[in-house]
Amino acid sequence: MEMKRILKKLGGTQNIESIMTILGVKRSKAIYYIYRLRNAGYVKTKRLSNNRRLYNISFENKLGGTSYYDILNKYSPIKITSKEIYQVYGKEPSLEETLVYAVKTQRLRIILASLALFKRIENWSGLYRLAKANHIERQIGALYDLCRQIMRTRKMTRRFRNHALPKGASFFNYVVPHLKSNDFQNIEKIWRIYLPFNKSDLEDYK
Amino acid sequence: MISIEKQQGLLLAISNRLKRPIRVYVVGGTAMMFLGFKDSTLDIDLVFENKEDREVFEEAIKSLGYKGMDTTIVYGGKANSPEMFTLGDERFDLFVKEVIDFTFSEEMQKRATQTHQFGGNLILKITNPNDIILMKCATDRLKDLDDANSIISNFKVDWDLIYKEAINQKKLGKERAVFELGYFLERLENKFKMDIPQKVKDDLWNALEAEAESKKKEKR
Repeated sequence: MEMKRILKKLGGTQNIESIMTILGVKRSKAIYYIYRLRNAGYVKTKRLSNNRRLYNISFENKLGGTSYYDILNKYSPIKITSKEIYQVYGKEPSLEETLVYAVKTQRLRIILASLALFKRIENWSGLYRLAKANHIERQIGALYDLCRQIMRTRKMTRRFRNHALPKGASFFNYVVPHLKSNDFQNIEKIWRIYLPFNKSDLEDYK
Repeated sequence: MISIEKQQGLLLAISNRLKRPIRVYVVGGTAMMFLGFKDSTLDIDLVFENKEDREVFEEAIKSLGYKGMDTTIVYGGKANSPEMFTLGDERFDLFVKEVIDFTFSEEMQKRATQTHQFGGNLILKITNPNDIILMKCATDRLKDLDDANSIISNFKVDWDLIYKEAINQKKLGKERAVFELGYFLERLENKFKMDIPQKVKDDLWNALEAEAESKKKEKR
């Protein structure tokens, strides 16, 4: 069977049984097809605790690179899958870049997953520079304060806080359009940013 | 011909030589490689948002040894031909917004959702497959019909989107766009015996007829 046709049929996450069913072949033949796809660079394998294997089969695997979602899934207890493709080549995206990317998506679950990154952020000046360039320094500050209420994080530098806090009569802004919090209104007032989460949304972090 | 692996190495080298970050839209064979429609390409077609970005990119590829070449060899006397640079087999075709008889419209830019970032400076946005067909029709070089055939055979083409974009091109002042698309689809059909929905062809020719009628009235 032609490689591209197999790839099209098997695209996504598979185990050996699902491959046997989809292609209508015996186990040995299914293993052979996986072997061929892996040699062509289309397969990423994950070994489960019971020693069974899961295969992620896609054309994007051949391109290589790292996506921001890979970084989020590595560090966050909340796992993300997304149709959106943003691959980075030639460097590993930093945690600061990943956090800024996540906030910029304005998507609730991605931002929720990204909160875990505050545990590991060390380069606060780099984060401030990136956030400022994307006009989201207040959003980052508000999300950090929210994180501090539910988990242990690295400490934000005073410099970041002083620079990012709203000056004068700043308008209220959203992290996710039209979503406001009932439980974190004190943080919202400080940063003049509406937070999209309530306490119940953050249970995965407890 | 440049393969996927070689292309990635080249784009990383360019990224390292860029003076500042730039965002570029990838059309043609390179976009098809990123989307899995082909494994290698002759030329790397890029569309820049402005001339300044293209100049920054040109400087980077010149520092890698690429030399400018005469566009008439490939594009004849067509309007909005790209700046072309070559080194060995590889060639860059660098457009700024206008691709021959088409404009890389805002709608096309919005539809280019797939992003590939090389190093810190080079951000490539991959053109939607439907729009690649339109761009293939615009450039209309030797291999473009084959490439369009490859997309149509492997992807569920949104013909309605293609028709609407052609009409949008007319609104943007690209009057030949509808004609070029109709002609390109007819040649595709004849060469590869493929079925292009009759409605699309009828709509395109009707739009052309209406345009001819309106011009007739204008002259009177």
